[in-house]
Amino acid sequence: MAGAEPALLLSPQVQRLVALPILMVIATKRADGRVWLNPVWFELADGYIWINSNTRRSWPKYLQRDKEATLLLTDPAEPDRYAQIHGRLAEVIPDPKHEFIDRLARRYTGKQFRELEPGEERITFKLEPLAVTGQMI
Amino acid sequence: MTVQLSPKMKEFVKEVFPAFIGTMRKDGSVEQVPVWYEFADDSFWINGGTNRGWFKHLERDPRVTLLLVDPKQMFRWAQVQGRMVKWEEDPGGEHINHLSHRYFGRDYQNPRTGRIKIQIEPLRITGSIDGWG
Repeated sequence: MAGAEPALLLSPQVQRLVALPILMVIATKRADGRVWLNPVWFELADGYIWINSNTRRSWPKYLQRDKEATLLLTDPAEPDRYAQIHGRLAEVIPDPKHEFIDRLARRYTGKQFRELEPGEERITFKLEPLAVTGQMI
Repeated sequence: MTVQLSPKMKEFVKEVFPAFIGTMRKDGSVEQVPVWYEFADDSFWINGGTNRGWFKHLERDPRVTLLLVDPKQMFRWAQVQGRMVKWEEDPGGEHINHLSHRYFGRDYQNPRTGRIKIQIEPLRITGSIDGWG
């Protein structure tokens, strides 16, 4: 699906914000319906939101089961201003050479990612924004 | 059953940043918004209005998740699985004003009417503050 346009273009306000290496919180659900919240690094590219994880974590499993997640961004300068993004899982991409997590680490820390733990596998998720709500839309 | 916070968590919850509150909509999707919070008497206390989406969700299903994360050091975080114990009117907006002082050191700038205060008991805590769980 290279080159496919996402269904929704983010507003200029949100685009300005996602250009910064800020905190994003991803919300998924456990099998029993409990909400599961985790901070994640992300990057916006080609209109999609890209995130990465260790395959052993819980939220990647929940995300792959439901194929959707709720993402939250706040403005570091004004934490009451936020954008809540409903995202659809568009693609799952293995990251065997940990290139993408290194890229994210450089965006956030200026350095490549830490050494992987024994047996650690990384995986990249491409999320399509479907709807944005909040005080920054 | 309410869990007691570890000494490290007791320090962490005193820090000043918004919490993220996650609730479930009727259609099963998740709503997530930032809220001001305070930890006191073994509970998390937040403030809102009865017209808020997340509060309506909690009336239907009191299970709630809070994420506390240091926005400057994202590896410092704790996820609190909790339950809404009760909510009550916040007459005169005393509680929202109290929270405003915790966050900004000044009186609450918006209308103080129609506010409610919500008690959340922590049932399980995971994240990096106590070690990964």
